[in-house]
Amino acid sequence: MATDKELSDFLKNVEKRAFKRTAYTVRNDDAALDIVQDSMIRLSEKYGDRPAEELPLVFQRILSNATMDWFRRQKVRNAVLVNLSEFEGADDDGGDFDLLELLDLSSQSSATESAADSVGRLQILELIDGEVSRLPTRQREAFLLRYWEELDVAETAAVMGCSEGSVKTHCSRAVHALAKALRAKGVSP
Amino acid sequence: MNTINNSTKGFDAAARADRLMARFGRRVAAALSEQQARQPRHDIDERLRFAREQALARARETHRLTAAPAAVMLGGAGAAALAAGPGGDEAPWWLRLSSLLPLAVLLAGLLLIDHHYTQSQIEAAVEVDAALLTDDLPPEAYSDPGFVEYLKSARP
Repeated sequence: MATDKELSDFLKNVEKRAFKRTAYTVRNDDAALDIVQDSMIRLSEKYGDRPAEELPLVFQRILSNATMDWFRRQKVRNAVLVNLSEFEGADDDGGDFDLLELLDLSSQSSATESAADSVGRLQILELIDGEVSRLPTRQREAFLLRYWEELDVAETAAVMGCSEGSVKTHCSRAVHALAKALRAKGVSP
Repeated sequence: MNTINNSTKGFDAAARADRLMARFGRRVAAALSEQQARQPRHDIDERLRFAREQALARARETHRLTAAPAAVMLGGAGAAALAAGPGGDEAPWWLRLSSLLPLAVLLAGLLLIDHHYTQSQIEAAVEVDAALLTDDLPPEAYSDPGFVEYLKSARP
C-alpha cells in the first residue's frame, strides 16, 4: 500500500505532465486542470491503497478515461472522431521517406548547435511543443505515454485500450511526423 | 545463406530503427520537460498544487473511514470483554457455541433420519422373512425354476 508521502510524491511528479498531455487533447487549460484534479481525486479515493509501483499505470488509465468522459460530456464526439480519422488515413507520406537517415541527421549534435544558435533554445522548445500538439490524438497519446511517461509498449496499450501493435504503429508514425516537421524547420530536439 | 544474411540485415535495421526512434522520442520528451521547467506557469502550478492537496485530503479521509469500522469492531469486542468482568471470559465462548448450534441440530437430525431409515428397512425384511417362514409353501420352492415358470404362466 502506498504511503501518504509516496502518493504525494507521485502526484507531484506526474501532475505537470498530466496537465500538459490533457491540455494537448482538450485544448482548454481550465478543462485540463479539472480533468487532472478529478483523476487525482479518483486515484486517491479508490486506488490509494495500491502499491506505489502500480500508481503510474492506474493514474494514466484514470486520466485517459476522465478525458474521454469530458469529451462525452461536452458532446463533441464528432470532433474526436475527426481527430481519430486523421491518423488512420492521412499519414501516407510517400515511400521515399527514409526514417533512419532523418533520425540519424536529427541526432547529430552539430545540427542541434546550429539550430540553437540561430533561433534560441526557447524558441526551439516552443516549436517542438507546437509540433507535438499538432500530432493526431492517438499518435500523440501513444508517443507521450511511451517516451514522456516512460511506459512500456504493453502498459501503453493497456492505458490506450488497444493492441501493442497499434501502439508501435502510432509511435512510429508520430516519430516520423515529428522528425519530418522539425527537420523542415531546421530544428532538432 | 543469402536468405539468412538478408533476414539478419532486416532484423538489424529494425532494431536500429527502434533504437533511433526511442532516442528521438526521449529527446522530444526531454525538450517538453525542459520547456515546462523554463516557462513555469504559476497559476497552473498553483491550481495543480491545490488539486493535489485536495486529492491527498480525500485519500486520508477514505483511509480514516475504512479504518474506522475495524476499530469499532475491535472496540466492541473489548467492551464485551470488559462487561463480562474479570472472570467472565465465557461470553465469547457462548457466542461461539451459539454459532455452532444450528450445525449441531442439523447433524442430530441427519443421524435421526438415518436411524429411522435403517430401522424401517430391518422391519420390512423381518416381515418378508416371517411371511416366507410361516407360509405353507417351503422357501426352497422359490428357487425351483419349474415353480417360477408355473407362477408366471398362472398369472392372467
